[in-house]
Amino acid sequence: MNFDFSDDQRMLRDHARRFLSETSDFHVLRKVMTDGAGYGKALWQQVLDQGWQGVAVSEEQGGLGLGMLELCVLAEELGRSMAPIPFFNTVCLGAELLKRCPQTGGDLLQRLIAGEVILAVSLVTPDHDWSATPFSFAGGKISGSSGPLAYGAQADFAILPVRHAEEPALALVNLQQAQRTPLESFDATVPFARLKLEGQPATLLCSGEQARQVMARIVDQAAVLTAFEQLGGAERALEITRDYALERHTFGRAIGSYQAVKHKLADMAVKVELARSNAYYGAWALQGGSDEQLAAAAALARLSASEAYAYAAQECLHLHGGIGYTWEADCHFFYKRARLLAASLGSSDAWVNRLLSDTALQALHS
Amino acid sequence: MDFNDSPEEAQFRAQVRQWLELNAAEYRQPLDTSDVDGYTTKARDWQRRKAEAGYAAIRWPKSEGGLEGTPMMEVIFAEEEARYHVPVGPLVTIGTSMAVPTIRKHGSPEQVEQFTRPTLYGETLWCQLFSEPSAGSDLANVRTRAVRDGDDWVINGQKVWTSWAHVADWGILLARTDPSLPKHKGMTFFLVDMRSQGIEVRPIQQISGESEFNEVFLTDLRIPDSCRIGAVGEGWKVAITTLMNERMHTVVDQSLPNVQDMIRQAQDAGIGFDRHRAAQLLTRELGLRFFRFRMLTTLSKGETPSAIAAMSKLVLSNTLQDLSAMALDHAGLHGICADGDELMEKFQYGYDWGAALRIAGGADEILRNQIAERVLGLPGEIRVDKDIPFSECR
Repeated sequence: MNFDFSDDQRMLRDHARRFLSETSDFHVLRKVMTDGAGYGKALWQQVLDQGWQGVAVSEEQGGLGLGMLELCVLAEELGRSMAPIPFFNTVCLGAELLKRCPQTGGDLLQRLIAGEVILAVSLVTPDHDWSATPFSFAGGKISGSSGPLAYGAQADFAILPVRHAEEPALALVNLQQAQRTPLESFDATVPFARLKLEGQPATLLCSGEQARQVMARIVDQAAVLTAFEQLGGAERALEITRDYALERHTFGRAIGSYQAVKHKLADMAVKVELARSNAYYGAWALQGGSDEQLAAAAALARLSASEAYAYAAQECLHLHGGIGYTWEADCHFFYKRARLLAASLGSSDAWVNRLLSDTALQALHS
Repeated sequence: MDFNDSPEEAQFRAQVRQWLELNAAEYRQPLDTSDVDGYTTKARDWQRRKAEAGYAAIRWPKSEGGLEGTPMMEVIFAEEEARYHVPVGPLVTIGTSMAVPTIRKHGSPEQVEQFTRPTLYGETLWCQLFSEPSAGSDLANVRTRAVRDGDDWVINGQKVWTSWAHVADWGILLARTDPSLPKHKGMTFFLVDMRSQGIEVRPIQQISGESEFNEVFLTDLRIPDSCRIGAVGEGWKVAITTLMNERMHTVVDQSLPNVQDMIRQAQDAGIGFDRHRAAQLLTRELGLRFFRFRMLTTLSKGETPSAIAAMSKLVLSNTLQDLSAMALDHAGLHGICADGDELMEKFQYGYDWGAALRIAGGADEILRNQIAERVLGLPGEIRVDKDIPFSECR
């Protein structure tokens, strides 16, 4: 039995944790919310300098030649630190998508690896059909208006699902000429914008059945990687709350000595461990599972991690008492990020239905 | 990252499979244990067969009938053994996993000699006389008295929840020898010949209708001092050894319903159900399976799983109770009157047994305390009776 990350992967985790704890604290998050840049530019540059954007890209394609498990490790650490950088959309979605369209996306992947571009990616989540995508592509031009798109105002390029001659396709568009309307985000540390495209030139990355397959794979991967991000956040919320429960005294005792508080913290720990166990299965499926196993594992990891993060974030704020409700305390970062990540890949209904589908149940029990 | 055995583990598994294929079939046992004599005989015989092959004490030295194996090898054997539905369980493991390891750690050479081999070979079956009506989660609250009389101890008191007391040959007993000391300091650990005079075993009828547990009344029971384990007053320390040897819950119990059973039942009956709730239960059930794989990975590396392992039973018992309740609700009155529907009976059993499991071997609240204290480092509970004489405790 070897159901764990390797020693090298743990070393990467330790390194990432140290690096992020030195570079990305809550002050950086607060600065991003007020300075208008939308992300921590200096931090992003430091991350790029370390080559994290190429961690799961082969050396032939210019990457570090590690793999999806290493990307899971980084996703967890970024979730822990809540680093305000466009990593998930550029790397976990963008690079992964471009990898699968080497003919058409190879050049942009090179630029991404070189640290020159930020990508925004719109997904076809399980609660939507491709026919509902708001973008159409014809004659080398793209038109349509997007819903809220993470880092839409900061990205250099967007990858968007389009309808092309009634077929699904994935289009790449340079956003320089696009009309972008920044949106107010409930989680103010992740910027969103609405795109409006009116016949901008675009290129197709892939189309038809290939586009469908690539998108399905990317969405499943995104669910597992997001689960690691959620897990990182949930575990940190637990740690912060534990520390506070030891420090804060009422009625002459640390609040962490009351069973009502201890048991909540124990329940947080249990949910985090269950989520971690399910996320590990997701990581295993990313690396070596069948498509059916990955689809089932993605739903399992996602639902489990969403529950753990929601519980940890809500009780983190609650157990801090009134101070937890203030802007000055840090609880709100978890409280809102938990909601964002639970919503980012479509409604939970669709993921529940996927987990309970016959194919998923079969894959999970084989 | 994979679920595969290491080469050594794979080799051991293959060896175990081959041996089970040749030996286990004739010991197959129906889940029903109502034929007590038949079940007990088979359990003894199967234990002897294992002992002869070294599989009864995988971690013990070869010179003492073991294989000098690892905890992981024990797990592999238990996993493979479970495929054959042979009679294994507390009837045997109270002796092999609790009584004997305790005797070997704290007993005299004569005691080790007397009890090791017969237990290993299924000749001596054991029960555990620990819990009392007022000593459950608070086990150190035992009131059963042991009073010295010449070379004997005279025991008076009552034990409860004693599995297999009506069958066992010997029992391990925790009794109070000095009530003037604080509660943890005045206890002593004994071995009891269950055929002695002064022992009355009364079965307890459970909510499921079964009677797996007993009350045991001890009235002027005489135990020779040679059956004392450890020093007088050291009983708590010895009992901790026993409890530390309670086995990690390793194998999935096939007689219990799972979430997939519940979904299948609802679908077959064309009944709608709360899909979010079902999915949540499934994340717990499978999360627990993968959590176990993580714990086994720790064992496989030769490390000891951390205190978070205590969450396994907490999640298992609550999930079992919740999913069984949900399945019974779907079915309406058919869930109440199963009328021979085996799946529905399984849910009824799961609903009953879930309640028992939430209490037995560490109640939910005790486990949450353990996780909070040992994993998260939160303060221990206030113990108002810790430093006062037991006789002055409520």
